[in-house]
Amino acid sequence: MEIVPRVVVTGLGAVCAAGKYPGQIFNSLLDGKVSIAEHMGWDVENWPCRLAGVVGFNPRELINDRKLLKLIKKTDVLGIYVAEKALESAGISGYRESLTSEADEYFAQRFGIYGGTSGALPSTQYDFLPLIKEADGSTLIIGEKLNDYINPMWLLGNLPNNVLCHVGIRNKLKGPNAFITNHSTSGMLSIIEAFESIRIGDTDRAIAIGHDAPVDPQTVLSYHITGLLAKASLCPFESKRSGSILGEGGAALVLETLEAASSRLAVIHAEILGKGCTSEAQGLLPVRMDGDGISRAICLGLEQAGLSTQQIGMIVCHGNGTITSDLSEGAAIRKVFGSKIPPITCFKWAFGHTLGASGSIDAVLAITALQRGIVPAIATLKNIDQSLKDLPIAKAHMEPIANTALILSRGFGGQNCALIVKATSRRGG
Amino acid sequence: MAIQPRRVAITGIGLVTPVGNNMSETWQSLLQAKSGVAPISLFDASGFSVQIAAEVKGDNYLSQTGHKRLSKAASRSHLFALAAAEEAMQDSGILPDAANGHRWGCSVGTGMVSINYKELLAFQREAAPKGQLEAELILESSIATDPIYFCRNQSAQGLSLLVKRYSIQGYTTSVHTACASGGQAVGTALKLIRRGDCDYVLAGGFDSMISPLGLAGFCLLDALSTDNHNPLTASRPFDATRNGFVMGEGAGFLVLEEWERAVKRGARIYAELAGEGNSLTSYRITDPLPSGDGPIQAMQQALRSAGLHPEQVDYLNAHGTSTPMNDRSEAAASHVVFGDHINNLKVSSTKSTMGHLIAAAGAVEAAICALTIYYNKAPINANLTRHDPECNLNFVCNQTKDFVVRVAMSNSLGFGGSNSCLVFRDPEAP
Repeated sequence: MEIVPRVVVTGLGAVCAAGKYPGQIFNSLLDGKVSIAEHMGWDVENWPCRLAGVVGFNPRELINDRKLLKLIKKTDVLGIYVAEKALESAGISGYRESLTSEADEYFAQRFGIYGGTSGALPSTQYDFLPLIKEADGSTLIIGEKLNDYINPMWLLGNLPNNVLCHVGIRNKLKGPNAFITNHSTSGMLSIIEAFESIRIGDTDRAIAIGHDAPVDPQTVLSYHITGLLAKASLCPFESKRSGSILGEGGAALVLETLEAASSRLAVIHAEILGKGCTSEAQGLLPVRMDGDGISRAICLGLEQAGLSTQQIGMIVCHGNGTITSDLSEGAAIRKVFGSKIPPITCFKWAFGHTLGASGSIDAVLAITALQRGIVPAIATLKNIDQSLKDLPIAKAHMEPIANTALILSRGFGGQNCALIVKATSRRGG
Repeated sequence: MAIQPRRVAITGIGLVTPVGNNMSETWQSLLQAKSGVAPISLFDASGFSVQIAAEVKGDNYLSQTGHKRLSKAASRSHLFALAAAEEAMQDSGILPDAANGHRWGCSVGTGMVSINYKELLAFQREAAPKGQLEAELILESSIATDPIYFCRNQSAQGLSLLVKRYSIQGYTTSVHTACASGGQAVGTALKLIRRGDCDYVLAGGFDSMISPLGLAGFCLLDALSTDNHNPLTASRPFDATRNGFVMGEGAGFLVLEEWERAVKRGARIYAELAGEGNSLTSYRITDPLPSGDGPIQAMQQALRSAGLHPEQVDYLNAHGTSTPMNDRSEAAASHVVFGDHINNLKVSSTKSTMGHLIAAAGAVEAAICALTIYYNKAPINANLTRHDPECNLNFVCNQTKDFVVRVAMSNSLGFGGSNSCLVFRDPEAP
């Protein structure tokens, strides 16, 4: 008898500067296309940091609801869009149409919803700048003229957990939920919490969403000031790498117990096997050069998955292009895998570091890579860093050596997460 | 399921609230229904429709925040968090060490970023002198180019400060579901220990929205009580004349331990954190359903998670914000969940004295539930003088009662429709 249910992935959605469908984004990776450009929505002429992976789609293309679009921010648009694409690809609404209204209510209550984003951005305060100017800083005048200057819905437009709320309302999902604001690990943590919620039987199904749109002037400048941004291109593991580049995006996965998915004859893309989460406790920005946090996260993931290192088919690194993150990631992989290391790749080089969305996008693309049997090359990588030369980093496309992937996600505060997925055999195969 | 889940003991509590700089001060104030609501002193609020709030009084808590240098990198709410966490750690008598640091987790409910107003003003003068942001000027702004300002305003900064201070090296997370954040953080911590990810978790919440922008946000929504001339009675959950909530601020932290470990080291156990449940109302962004649909499922799931029946619950620490709609919906939900037992169930909302601590509320109220069980006393629902037939519950009014509290429940219901419910049990009770 199966006590802990198996958790499978039945729906995928993703958007970023490289496209608005997982397959489209994956194809652009295979083509080696970099979707990062000098376009950030403000005059960047004299800016030292002008590059970003901005999502250029008209919001109406993503969500056809003019009223809702007035209330929410770009990051929310991306989150709601990918959630609904994932639900659609899982065939959820079609299945629900076959249910009685009572059964549908039960379905809604047994459908969890988990989301994550890096956190509130400074731009949420910009609506107040004209009023602060008018008041010449006087809080008394701000109070008096508040209603003349600020939209009554201002606070609601800036709730970090907006995506949870609107995806729930629009799709009638009512189950257990959580919203994570934990910098770049938020997206992966939302998958992890959805996975665990299903394993303990709190829900039968859940959607896990990561979304972010951190390309605003103050955020970009702050990343530059703290030395995190690249001078020219995002080239992980490259000897001349100089940092990361911010991007916008989102991705979502529909998870179900194997039993729930099978009962409605859903197409199963992958199974989630294990996860690990650790902290290095060094403060907000530093990372340990020995890769301590990331290696412990990988070991925890392998242990829960019941796999040995030899059973991992490919590794999707965080690969954010900063000198220290890439080096410590390499050290951790070497420490855990020894000399037998599967093909290593990463995806941020193509569309930027999407912070809270990055773990979700990487998970969706890793599943796509396993399904297609290709480990995409890192197109911006020309000369591998001398101290990482021993690692099988994909300078050209490679093949996974098994149908499993280890995906790594790291964030501020020394956060490290590892997720292990196994692709199910391709349809008909 | 056949597997007996690992049990979770609450062995440390720390509080910084509008009614006390620490746990014992807060608890005494709650038993005496001493209000923390007063005219806002943190800035000139005299032009706002609402001029009252429940501020943390004085700065005694600062002696608990640790290294002086931290305060530059910490916001007001981070300092509350550092002080409450320190009190909880000292209270529990344990700390992470080199051998078990990786078995410690940290789960916190973090508020929406509350930018320091003076810095926002300086930023406006530097980068938006005409009221509109000018890209070129941002580059020169002393605020926008200050890395410490950037770090302090990251959502992960509160968590990062705590984790570094105690060398917590396991699963660490920061959650935000508006007013349900604190409850969700404690619920997450319960799951982390149950599923074996951690043996110990520092869990809590912290927030301070008593700033011009925070106040503005809630004023614009007409969510706050405008009883500027009667601050002491402005927050009156479940009273027929209630007219909105009162903003509070502060932090609450718990040290949670896997049961067997706590027992083995002879720890004082306040209560068992026995269950958690949560649900999404999926109705409207701010409004609850009058029927209580949403909170009902969270409460039922929390009881299932604790393996308890509704009849076993002795005390409910209600979300009870004092808004017309929340209290009516929560009362309706309680009737559905508890049925006839509702007459035996004692209820109070501690927001009646300390206001609404937003992202910290659920964690502070979790601590209060643990104290209720430990002392067999329930805090008073202050200012409840006119009965509302739509909120017909057995309230703890006027004076606190001594009664046996074997099981307590705490609700946290947030904007966005997230509902979190926690259940606590007396470790001695059968």
